[in-house]
Amino acid sequence: MILTGPEIAAAQRDGRLRIDPFDLAAVNPNSYNLRLGPTLLQYNVPVLDAARPNPTREMTVGESGVVLQPGRLYLGHTIETAGSDVFVPLLFGRSSVGRLGLFVEITAPIGDIGFHGQWTLMLHPTVAVRVYAGMRISQIMFFLSKGPIDTYSGKYQHADGPRSSASWQDLVALGVGASS
Amino acid sequence: MILTGPAIADAVACGDIVIDPFDPACLSPNAYDWHLGNELRIAAGPLDAARPSRFIERRIPPTGVVLQPGRLYLGTTAEHTASTRYAQLLNGDHGTGSLGVFVHVSAPLGHQGHAIRWTLEIRAAQPVRVYPGMCFGKLVFLNVCGELASYQQRGAKYAATVGAGTSRLFEEFS
Repeated sequence: MILTGPEIAAAQRDGRLRIDPFDLAAVNPNSYNLRLGPTLLQYNVPVLDAARPNPTREMTVGESGVVLQPGRLYLGHTIETAGSDVFVPLLFGRSSVGRLGLFVEITAPIGDIGFHGQWTLMLHPTVAVRVYAGMRISQIMFFLSKGPIDTYSGKYQHADGPRSSASWQDLVALGVGASS
Repeated sequence: MILTGPAIADAVACGDIVIDPFDPACLSPNAYDWHLGNELRIAAGPLDAARPSRFIERRIPPTGVVLQPGRLYLGTTAEHTASTRYAQLLNGDHGTGSLGVFVHVSAPLGHQGHAIRWTLEIRAAQPVRVYPGMCFGKLVFLNVCGELASYQQRGAKYAATVGAGTSRLFEEFS
């Protein structure tokens, strides 16, 4: 079951979820609109490698916005921190953004119970598109969970700004990529 | 409702969910972290919904494989998963998504009765090297509402696949 907007607002008030800053005007019938933050990351290498840290270059989205190019991957972030110790959060793009051909996440919509922080947005345009900091770009929704809860304490906890892939940490632990 | 990690562990213990191989360390707060299998099929030539597809088969070596944008790769999960009681949603995770790797093409749902190694429909936003056995995403289990209707009783096309299955949509054309 998915929470309604009024239940999202009630859960924000009683602490079952936390969105900061919270604005009642951003509550939808079944979700909450999150805004694009000013920082974007782009990977700096021609071929990414899951087994190594991939260097990134930081860009700031100015007042006139920035044009995202098709075929490129940009890591953005939400202005808001959002999370819950009770509900399962899912983050998707808004349909207004989808109609501009912009992927906001890449087959990874499901968050973890207990994650709190800014969400990394995986921005991948199908056509060139100008975006602006502060625009309402994505929607977070919350699903009921079933069973005892063991909250998140993983690599991306308390994220502040976009977070590049940390898959390499697992692969190094497995011995992949460490010697090459 | 989405099962929590401890609820998935309980369901595995009582047989309502099969994950093989199963490693309790791969349970996360509301999912199981699944891994990339070592087979890939790469589309060879134009695809036609009304005809069987031609694919080249490749094994991913321990040194990994570079996925190129604009190509379609069919892969598999390392794990075989099954549940008659719960529906399943297979997705990527922060690690794969933030490398620009799509693990499916808008088709995340595993129906009740699925007993499969999942076929992945992999796309890359940028060239990226991936490795067999790496953690590649999250598998979520959903409680259902209503009378049970298992995929196994329907003669469904993909109810028991073991490797990267190509599209069999052509069987629906007559």
